[in-house]
Parts: sequence; C-alpha cells; structure tokens
Amino acid sequence: MMGDLLLRTLRSPSRLVPLDALRCTNAGGSRMPQVLGGRLNADLADRLAAICPTEAMRRGSDSGGRWFELDYGECIGCGRCAAAAPEAVLPAVHLEACGVRREALVHRWSVDTGKEIPPQTAEPPRLDRWLGRAVNIRQLDAGSCNGCEAEIAALTNPYYDLERWGAHFVASPKHADLLLVTGPVTRNMAEAVRQTYAALPAPKLVVAVGACGCSGGVFDASPAVAGGVDQVIPVDAYIPGCPPTPAMLLTGLAAVLQRRLGRRGAGRVSAEAVKARSATAGAGSVASRANPQSS
Amino acid sequence: MTRDAALAGLPLTLRRTWEKDAQPPRLVSIFGRSVGRETEVHYLFDRGAADYEETTVVVGGEIGSLVPLAPAASWQEREIHDRFGLIFAGHPDPRPLLRPWQPAPPVSAPNGTRRWPPDAAAGIGAEFIPVTGNGVTEVAVGPVHAGIIEPGHFRFSTMGDRVIFLELRHFYTHKGTEDLLAGMDAAGATPIAESVSGDNCLAHAVAYCQALERIAGVEPPPRAQALRGVGMELERLANHIGDFGALCGDVGFAPMPALASRLKEDLLLASLAFCGTRYWRGIAVPGGVTMDPGEQARAALARAVAAAGREFAELGGRALRNPSVQARFDGAGVLTPQAARDFAAVGPVARASGAPLDLRRDRPYGAYRRRSVAAARLAAGDVMARAQIRMLEAAAAVEFLRATLADWPPGNVRDRFPAGAEGRGWAAVESPRGELVYWLLLQQGRIVRCHIRSPSFQNWPALPPAVIGGIIADFPMINKSFNLSYSGCDR
Ligand code: SF4
Repeated sequence: MMGDLLLRTLRSPSRLVPLDALRCTNAGGSRMPQVLGGRLNADLADRLAAICPTEAMRRGSDSGGRWFELDYGECIGCGRCAAAAPEAVLPAVHLEACGVRREALVHRWSVDTGKEIPPQTAEPPRLDRWLGRAVNIRQLDAGSCNGCEAEIAALTNPYYDLERWGAHFVASPKHADLLLVTGPVTRNMAEAVRQTYAALPAPKLVVAVGACGCSGGVFDASPAVAGGVDQVIPVDAYIPGCPPTPAMLLTGLAAVLQRRLGRRGAGRVSAEAVKARSATAGAGSVASRANPQSS
Repeated sequence: MTRDAALAGLPLTLRRTWEKDAQPPRLVSIFGRSVGRETEVHYLFDRGAADYEETTVVVGGEIGSLVPLAPAASWQEREIHDRFGLIFAGHPDPRPLLRPWQPAPPVSAPNGTRRWPPDAAAGIGAEFIPVTGNGVTEVAVGPVHAGIIEPGHFRFSTMGDRVIFLELRHFYTHKGTEDLLAGMDAAGATPIAESVSGDNCLAHAVAYCQALERIAGVEPPPRAQALRGVGMELERLANHIGDFGALCGDVGFAPMPALASRLKEDLLLASLAFCGTRYWRGIAVPGGVTMDPGEQARAALARAVAAAGREFAELGGRALRNPSVQARFDGAGVLTPQAARDFAAVGPVARASGAPLDLRRDRPYGAYRRRSVAAARLAAGDVMARAQIRMLEAAAAVEFLRATLADWPPGNVRDRFPAGAEGRGWAAVESPRGELVYWLLLQQGRIVRCHIRSPSFQNWPALPPAVIGGIIADFPMINKSFNLSYSGCDR
C-alpha cells in the first residue's frame, strides 16, 4: 500500500513554477495597488488618503509642491483604493519593491505634474556575496496572525520549492544566516526577538515580512505592540504584503541575496521543459521501473 | 471548594442561570467591559436554543468564580482579571494570564483602554506550577519553536519519557486587538478581524460581518451568502488537507505532507483564479461580498475542488490504513468525552471526542440555511479520530461546494450597509477549528466593545489532558492533531 502511495507521488506531474513566471507576476493575488501617477489630482489624492485604513496612502505639500505617497510597507491590500478610483489605481501584477530597504517601499508622486519623485536614498540592501548559493533561513514569528507563516510554509511545496536555490529553513537561529521575521513585534515577544537575534551568527541578515513586520500594519496603534520589526532589532530588507504571496517572498529573498531569479542556468526551467518532463513522468517511466508486488 | 460553596459565591442572576436546568449549560464565553468604576461581566451560555443565553452582572472589585463548577471558565476569568482588575473569588489558579511574568494586572484606565507599562520586556521564568519529586525532569519549550510556527511556551514535567504534567504559557502574540477595535468605525474594521487568525481569515471576517448585520438588521443577498459559504468551505478544506498532511509528516510518513501541500496549493491557486485572492481577504464586507465571479469561474472552481477532494480522499484513506501510521495514531493523545465537556471544547476536537457540536447544523447561518452539511462525529478522542474527522469533514466540504456551485442563487452580492448602527449582538460561525464567536456593542456606528472568542482560546486548555500520561515524543503529533491557532487565542 505504501508503495502505491509512493508511486503516486512520483508519477504526479511536476508543479514547479518556472522562475521567470514567478518574477514577472510576483504580486498577482497580493491585492497590492499600482498607482498611475499621471491620473492623480488633488481631489483624488485627498479621497484616497481618506479611505485608506492604514495611512499607506497619504498626501502633503512641501517646497516642491503637493505630493502623494504610497507606502507599500503599510498597505494591507484591502482593495478599497482600487475600488474607489479604478481609473488611477490598479491591482499590481508585478512589484519590484520586495526585499528592499524601507525607503524604497515608499513611492511618491508630484500631484501637480503626475511624475514620480525618486526616493532620497537608493542604496541597495546589504551585499553578502560570500554567502554563495546556499542560505540557511530561520523563520521567526514575532506576533503575526499566522497569515505570513502560511505563505512562508508554501515556499516548501512542490510549486515554489525554495530548496532549488539551496535555501532552506533551519530549526535554530544558531544555524541561520538570515532571520525571516513576521508580525508586529508584540510587547510580549520583544525580548524573545532580541534574544533570537543575539543568537544569530554573523552576518546576521534580517528580513522583515508582511505589512505588520514592515510597519506594525493594522496593529501599529495598539499599546500591546512595539511596532514593526525594526523597532526592536536592525532590519536589512523588507518584503511587504498582507500576506506577501510566495512569489513575492521568493523575489524578495533573491533580491536580498543578490540573486537574479531566472538568470542563472541551474535554476532556470522553461515552461516547455516542465511540460515535457511532466509528460514523461506521467506516462509511466517511473511505473515501469517499480515493482508493485514488492510493496 | 464544594459545589454548594461555589454556587453560593456566585451572583444571584448567574446562579439562577446555572441552576435552571438539571443539565448545566455549555459555557460559550465570559468577557468584561468597563462601565465607570465597575466592570460589566457577560456570560454567554448555550442551552441548545436558537440563541445563546446571555447573563450580565455588574460588579466592582470581586465576584464569585465559576471555575469550580465549569473548568472551562478558567482562562476566561483570568483574562478578565488581567484586563479589568476584577478578582474572581474561589478561582483555583488566579495567576496572570496575558502577561504571566508581571505579577500585577496591567494598569486599567477607567474607560477600559489599556496602558502597558513601558518596560514591557517579555521573559519566561515567572512561577510555573511546581512539580517535584525524585526523577522529575522539567522540559521547557518555546516561545520560539523550531519550525515555521507561531510562538508559545510549553512546560513539561516528565518522569522518564512519560509526561506527568504540562502547563501552557501563551499570549506571546497578544496584540490588544479587542482594545484596538474599540472606537473604530464598525463598517470599516473587517481587515482587523481578518488579521486575528490568518489561516482562517474568512471565517473571522464573516463572523464579524454577521454580528454587525444582525445588529443593523441587514440580511445579505442569497448570492453573497452562497459566496461566503463557498469561501468558508474552501478554507476548511484547505486547512484540513494541510493539517492532515502535516500530521502524517510528524510520524515520518513523508509522502503525505508532500502531497497535501500540493493539494492545498492547488486549492489556493483555484481561489486566486476564482476571486483574485488566495485566502479570501477583503472579500466579506458588512452587507455582502466584494466580488461576483461568473459561470466559467464557478465551473473551474468546482473542477479543482472535485479533483483535490478525490485525490485527498483516496490518498488520505491509504495513509490511515498504513500500519506504521496506525501504530502512532491509534490510542495516542486521548481527550475523553468527559474532559471535552469539562473544557467546553469545540470544533473537530470536540467532534472527535463524541460531542455533536457543529454550528452549521445546530444554528444554521448564511448558506447553511439553504444547504446542510453532513455532520461528522467520532467517539475515540485519539489522534486517529482527529485525523479521521478531518477526512470526513473534507469530504462533506467537497460535497457542499459541488452542490452550492451547481445551484447558484440569482441577484446581487452586496446590499447597502446603513451608517450609524447601534445596539449589541453576537454571531457565531463554524470556522475550520470550530465555534468562533464575535460579540459587538455599537454606538452611532462605532465599536464600543468587541469580544472575540476564538475556538483556539477554548480548545488550548483541553490539550494538556490529552498529552499527560503519554510519552513526550508524541507531543508534536498530538499538538498537531489539535492544530490550534496561537494568534487566534492570544488576539
Ligand atoms: S489597498 Fe493598500 S493602499 Fe489601498 S486603501 Fe487598502 S491599505 Fe490603503
């Protein structure tokens, strides 16, 4: 019986998503908004800022005139902006702002000209070339709702298979190169988070995940919450989303590790190759080798 | 404390409620609310009628504890003590619950808002119940665990391999959610409800919306009800499949978690194609839902569900017939029907221990008024029963989804939700983990008090009785067979 099950596992067609596809549509299903700057005007900026429940959308003015901002680090993808102003806000399909510094999550437009104002600091996340290909990741829940954990756990399923880059999850911070932290840091977890960070060996890379990890999210105002991860330990890069899709997590991690998804031979699989391989696997190449009687 | 002494200590109204029938009612929840200098304590009971029975007592300072009569009241009373400073006389274990390392309850402002002390650093080490004796070893686990899981602390006392005592210390993910909701515009607060427990966010959103709709006297259109029902059964199916796979993974039956994680992802991708989100966030809103997929999308979803359901039924059945799985699941982690009743356990955990408790059948709401779901119930109360219950319920969910998607109600999906709703009310849904209750008090459309009673809060205290007496190596498996949410419990 066990043999049947094993056989079934081996015979089912490959579900591995090609890496290029992951990268191009990483934000599909994340409900993160994409703002068409050219469509902005003062009235619309006011309206959007008023309906956004987390103040991810905000407006103001300075010497350069009136501006409008979208902070992906605070956005929970509630979809209200896209529903209220479909002419200027669309659901994002691709999101570049994954695995970047905090400032790079904030996009700013001039309301007067509709042009995007580039962020002040465009410094890329820390380089750690010596990490090579393999990376040990320790996931730490600092108080999340478990939504981000569900998506992080999905990274190990046969669709995303994080291990194809030699990246894998380890059980102790002492074995980890990178700490993947979710959730607003609750007051009750703050000390445990500090101690986990202390146990991490160099280079102590930290990636904050999700709206809560980036900014405290919807819980930021609660007195029982210390805030985003960077309120408690230093953070190298941020992956927004509520929760981020597995594809956003993958592109974010790749950005931190300076690895271009789909640009290296070993990890690159075309859609055709996947199809061809599944066809052979499904057609019994495995079955012919196995002996059902022996199980 | 004797039963009579405990009864004598209760406020009169509560005592009358408790003694009304020969069989005491099932305790649903106890929660507090600040009213001036006093605390209003609400007791929700289930007596089998269409509505829960609510008893309200206003007290200052001290009130008799219900714990000697109903052990399920323990955490509820401790939470009220921590939040409102109320003393429960006769509570056998009145230690702080929300912040156990802090002896005094946190400062409570008269209007009920919480102020946490600035030095709110967490730590473990505050008193646990001491277990002493020759050969007793204490094993401390958490709050940071080894896998991709939420934080919580388990303190085992063992004698050799045998667990002789287990104490849970949770609330590490306590986010003050109920206080955060107070003062918010009720119609716009669904995203907070969705972030109480992320893997069953739709159940939370629907429970919250139903409570609001009940207060405002709004009935969402039938098509919206059908969509909510489809979403909630998909959520149950995905969770049950994932849990079942992980459970088999915990006993080293490796093919099953690999398959289950694939089937779960199949369903999440089917959701994505159906309604644009993997977990149905942002879909349920007061008055209805925010999307209306067409016929083709429904047919595609029905196909995906049927395929996943078929494969899960076949492979799950084989896993449970496997001798090495049976050797671990059978007879392990037994929660007796009596213990399940004492702790007022809910959901699949209760149904695997003989309790016929399922809100979809007992108090049908939304789509379950049009179409019932086959109720599962087993008596053994062991890990095997909890695994089997998940398979039975997955099959029932598949059948519900097939029938609902095939018989689609006409009409719109969202009615206007009136501004400025006032009043109080509750709603309960059967989430994948069981009975989930939202209780709301509104004034001019704003939330005055929102109480969230998650199934995990109710079921966590029922875990130690299933673990004690077994070997410590079985703990991960037993814990997984309950699969409770930390965030849903801690809020
Ligand atoms: S989708 Fe994001 S930016 Fe838009 S209203 Fe919601 S939280 Fe704000």
